[in-house]
Amino acid sequence: MEEEGERTKRWEGDYERTWEVLKEDETGSLKASVDDIILQAKRRKLVHSHGKVRLGMMRHMFVVIDASRNMIDQDLKPSRLVSSLKLLELFVEEFFYQNPISQVGFITTRNKRAEQLTELGGMPKKHRAALQKAVEIQCLGEPSLYNSLYMALQTLRHVPSHSSREVLVVLGSLTTCDPFDLRSLMKTLNEFKVRVSVIGLSAEVHICTLLAQETGGTYHVILDEPHFKELLMYHVTPPPVTNMESSLIRMGFPQFSAGTVGDGADKPSFNMAQLESQGDVSLTLGGYFCPQCCAKYGQLPVECKICGLTLASASHLARSYHHLFPLEAFEETSLENISGDRVCEACQVQLTKQQVCICPECKAIFCLDCNLFIHESLHCCPGCIHSQS
Amino acid sequence: MKLTVDGLPVYFPYEFIYPEQFAYMLELKRTLDAKGHGVLEMPSGTGKTVSLLSLIVAYQKVHPEEVSKLIYCSRTVPEIEKVMMELKKLVLYYNKETNTPSDLLALALSSRKNLCIHPEVKSLRLGKEVDGKCHSLTASYVRKNRSTDPTVPICSFFEEFDANGREVPMPAGVYNLQDIKEFAQRHNWCPYFLARYTLSHANVVVYSYHYLLDPKIADLVSREISKKAVVVFDEAHNIDNVCIDSLSVNINRRMLDRCSNNIEMLQSTIEKIKETDAMKLREEYQRMVEGLMEASVARETDVYMANPILPDDILKETVPGSIRTGEHFVGFLKRFVEYLKSRLRVNHVQAESPLAFLKELYDKVCIERKPLRFCAERLRCLLRTLEVANIIDLSPLTLICNFATLVSTYTKGFTLIIEPFEDKTPTISNPVLRFSCLDASIAIKPVFDRFQTVIITSGTLSPLDMYPKILDFRPVTIASFSMTLARTCLCPIIVGRGNDQVTMTSKFETREDIAVIRNYGTLLLELSGVVPDGIVCFFTSYMYMESIVASWYEQGILENIQRNKLIFIETQDGAETSMALEKYQEACENGRGAILLSVARGKVSEGIDFVHHYGRAVIMFGMPYVYTQSRILKARLEYLRDQFQIRENDFLTFDAMRHAAQCVGRAIRGKTDYGVMVFADKRYSRADKRGKLPRWIQEHITDGSLNLTIDEAVHISKHFLKLMAQPFSRDDQLGLSLLTLEQLQSEDMLRRIEQIAHQS
Repeated sequence: MEEEGERTKRWEGDYERTWEVLKEDETGSLKASVDDIILQAKRRKLVHSHGKVRLGMMRHMFVVIDASRNMIDQDLKPSRLVSSLKLLELFVEEFFYQNPISQVGFITTRNKRAEQLTELGGMPKKHRAALQKAVEIQCLGEPSLYNSLYMALQTLRHVPSHSSREVLVVLGSLTTCDPFDLRSLMKTLNEFKVRVSVIGLSAEVHICTLLAQETGGTYHVILDEPHFKELLMYHVTPPPVTNMESSLIRMGFPQFSAGTVGDGADKPSFNMAQLESQGDVSLTLGGYFCPQCCAKYGQLPVECKICGLTLASASHLARSYHHLFPLEAFEETSLENISGDRVCEACQVQLTKQQVCICPECKAIFCLDCNLFIHESLHCCPGCIHSQS
Repeated sequence: MKLTVDGLPVYFPYEFIYPEQFAYMLELKRTLDAKGHGVLEMPSGTGKTVSLLSLIVAYQKVHPEEVSKLIYCSRTVPEIEKVMMELKKLVLYYNKETNTPSDLLALALSSRKNLCIHPEVKSLRLGKEVDGKCHSLTASYVRKNRSTDPTVPICSFFEEFDANGREVPMPAGVYNLQDIKEFAQRHNWCPYFLARYTLSHANVVVYSYHYLLDPKIADLVSREISKKAVVVFDEAHNIDNVCIDSLSVNINRRMLDRCSNNIEMLQSTIEKIKETDAMKLREEYQRMVEGLMEASVARETDVYMANPILPDDILKETVPGSIRTGEHFVGFLKRFVEYLKSRLRVNHVQAESPLAFLKELYDKVCIERKPLRFCAERLRCLLRTLEVANIIDLSPLTLICNFATLVSTYTKGFTLIIEPFEDKTPTISNPVLRFSCLDASIAIKPVFDRFQTVIITSGTLSPLDMYPKILDFRPVTIASFSMTLARTCLCPIIVGRGNDQVTMTSKFETREDIAVIRNYGTLLLELSGVVPDGIVCFFTSYMYMESIVASWYEQGILENIQRNKLIFIETQDGAETSMALEKYQEACENGRGAILLSVARGKVSEGIDFVHHYGRAVIMFGMPYVYTQSRILKARLEYLRDQFQIRENDFLTFDAMRHAAQCVGRAIRGKTDYGVMVFADKRYSRADKRGKLPRWIQEHITDGSLNLTIDEAVHISKHFLKLMAQPFSRDDQLGLSLLTLEQLQSEDMLRRIEQIAHQS
């Protein structure tokens, strides 16, 4: 089956009662029920599509990582903490790929306290480095939801109102040790329109359900590692905008200059990002120059260290553009309802499976696999584009 | 939605219906058609109440001449209120659908304490005090005195009701306790007497068990109810104990001392009256001669004390001469009390039958059986003649007279046990005379005889054939309904071994074994790490709980558990327990997580629900066998064996299993709820024990969940809890465990519904 590739080692997962899932049909074949399982898995990936709502392009998100005693548990391999950190690295990468002009920060919580791992920032490299280092954290005591949310709120409350404020909590523990009642904090979070989502690693905890409900976030509990990854990736897509305020933002679109004579970059200069990180600092030619203050950066997107301008390239904006106009979910029907050509519009393969999808706009027919590809990667319907041109 | 149940049109006040509700209504309809009694078991949280109400009300509408009234007996005031809520919904739906206001009159009845609106009386807190105060304001002689002496205080609400309340019947509608109070307040009537008066012509009456089962109250309150009524006992799994309690009397030395004081007081009153108003006593004597069949108009309010079961033939006889005059009667009582006192001066346990007791009574103090039988009735008359206002002070004497009547009336099904000390404190002398009813069918027999249909229903009634046996009646339907589920939301597991393979059991021989206690501790510790929010634990007794918790403390297990969750303990003190419960719920609410340690058969196991996060797991440590050394139990077991051919062991297991089921059932209160049920005793694995669990639990016990080790149990719970945490919406249930009208009508579904009910 498909997910087999993702799961590194079969024996590390939970034991499955595979014989209970499979059922023979009249002829004694298992094919129907196997097909059904695959279909279910595919469909599950597609459930979360918002339809046509405005999604936020600029996001500010704090990820709270539980580092309490419960994270040593080995139901995820090698341990809950290590596994979470690894997946979060992937998440950071994917997050910045899809939301280039957003910012992320990390907070860990253990021993009833919250500690800031990284500040809110738009540099994936920095976060990944911090996450890699965090593997050495010693898991101790109980987590404190109150303290970590309070810490996140202290930063998020100063973030401009046109961007979304989010907190994602990865919680392995089943308890939280708080100095005050969490419900009072929920009201404050609500006031500042902070969305709190929780991914639980063990079981459904009532306070988290309440927290997600009150602040408009989501609450999920993982089944196993692939499911964990799926749930994390779900948070890569921006949530619908809650504050409908729009405003103009100053942004810079620097061009890359290769350091040829005459374009102003022919003299060696310091890369501002490198200066900050205190790594091996060296003079280089070429880079992106801030149109406002001419500071040089090696990578985009970035916030200018000198003048605070957000620097991005047009392609970054285009990448997050599809969030603004998400593709509508295709209608599912059975094959019998289709008259005429039974061929997938995208891959041109003869349709044999029972389920097919139809684009509500152009009425083109797709197979399930193409449907998945269109919604996950392409973000536009080939049928519609074809008919436009 | 409008349903057709076996040809009967039923209005059901919800848009969707559970398949088992429909099956339940089908069985109910058959029982009503057959005019017989029924025993129905359906899991809690599947809408028993609303199914019962909507079907019986519909049946009343269609066949008014066959079923004139529904009497719904529940156990507590909150439960009564819940029933009234459902009934209100039903009536609203009727009004909406038929566009005419319904002519149904339904009301709830409770004690004076809950209904009184007299500012002075209702401020009293204890039920007894309220009754006494009310009586002193409304008794017939008080009111008579008032006509001559206007300074005598009376209750204006009762006067107003007495003057006008009976003329106009209460308008149709559903009245819960609050509504009756408001209605009565508007008219300045007494709500309690209004409710009692209205009882006789209401269509639906909701009240507590005692109004039907306790002969002392039933005679007063429920006498007027017509035979064509349907009686429903909800949550009836303990009905045999209620029956037995209502006919049992315990007498200790302190009570007898107070009795002597009472008698002296009576004597002096008689002397006084003799000097001032000898006429009165003579009148009373005359009445005695004429017999007890006085048709007293004012009797309604004269609740001095009613008779504990007076067989009809006694009422027709005259009071024997030896106790006709007041002085003689008082002297008679004095002798009786002195005799009881002498009986209490014992150093060893005595057990005898009522007949032996009567014989010795006659030999020693020459008290015959016949006058003894009239004791209760005679005291009632005397008190009325003497116009004693404060009947609360006389409660010990009333009790003794009750005892006298009971012991002389029943020779079978009762036993008399005199214990010089309590079992727990064998050195402190505290003699008690226990007059105990052994046969639950005695108290409930009049109910079965009188009403055409009696339904006994609860979430846990298994094994179903036991109840007809011990209550001695022949039902026409016995059915158990399973719960249709879109997802398996209960996870019963039987843990029989520790990780060290030591058998876990609360068996007497091994219960003090350190390895067993440690394993129980490990089980709780491990589970507290994987179960979110609340865990409820049940032990077999307070003593066992105390000893286990003490040794957990010594072994340091308690400290480790407290890292995961806070621990609360139920104690025998009611206030302390409700405090613990409150804090427990708070800890579940704010995410800290909590464990409640409580006792099977305690307050927590009976009346308190742990919905959703308040109880994600229930752990039953050991099997809750009743304390088998108790003499009353031994006598009862013997009686059951001789009379009903129920073997001791069968009854004990039945009793233990119904309490275990009751305990673990606390966690699941509906289809969206979920919870782990851990039976931590190896003995549960045995088929004879397991087979006595309700079917809806039994169904989910697979071979894979028997005799597990702690590790396996933790693993299963972990997996189960993760599965249950996945999103679950109503759409998932539709068509499977939740039906619309169309789905209900499909052939396929009807066939499936037929299978839900299991007759036995």
